[in-house]
Amino acid sequence: MSEHTTPATTRPSTRKRYKRIAYGLLGAGIAALFVAVALDRFALGVALYWAGGLGMGLVQRFSPVTLYDERDTTIDRKASQTTLNVFAYVFILGLPGGLVLQESGVVDLPGAFFGSTWTLFAIYVAYGVSVLYYKYRT
Amino acid sequence: MRNDIRQRRAETGESQADLAAAVGVTRQTINAIERERYDPSLELAFDLAAHFDCRIEDLFDPDE
Repeated sequence: MSEHTTPATTRPSTRKRYKRIAYGLLGAGIAALFVAVALDRFALGVALYWAGGLGMGLVQRFSPVTLYDERDTTIDRKASQTTLNVFAYVFILGLPGGLVLQESGVVDLPGAFFGSTWTLFAIYVAYGVSVLYYKYRT
Repeated sequence: MRNDIRQRRAETGESQADLAAAVGVTRQTINAIERERYDPSLELAFDLAAHFDCRIEDLFDPDE
């Protein structure tokens, strides 16, 4: 069991400031990507986007204060589970429903439908692999 | 889970931010525990009990 050693002088305002810096760097990277793409400088935009993401990661990694605690982790876990559940319904009901509509001649499904379906499938495969990994570790 | 953290904190004169910093979590987490909207991990429960120099069962009431 690890010791919590955050100094007593640490205040939430400091935590908020570091979180703002972290998300600000990512936001600036995303904004830079859009601007660079608009200016037809795609490679520069991607580089700035990556730099923003890297900066966010560095701030989170080396921040002197606790940016995320166990409650944040719990919230993340619950939100992820809810998201997976919602998209499970989309996947389970949407895929066969779409195929039936296409076979019935009601709609002509675009390629994006099948692309998004395969993407969802890949996400659930990755989820399954993660579950197995943690099952064997726990 | 029902708990006595708010009362204990009042006795020691600490703010939520003080307690949060002492046990290494955010003020929002202490607030959520006091409002019984979040049950802390075993590790955090031990840290809180150690901070108030009492046993976990003195701080938390699992029957509620």
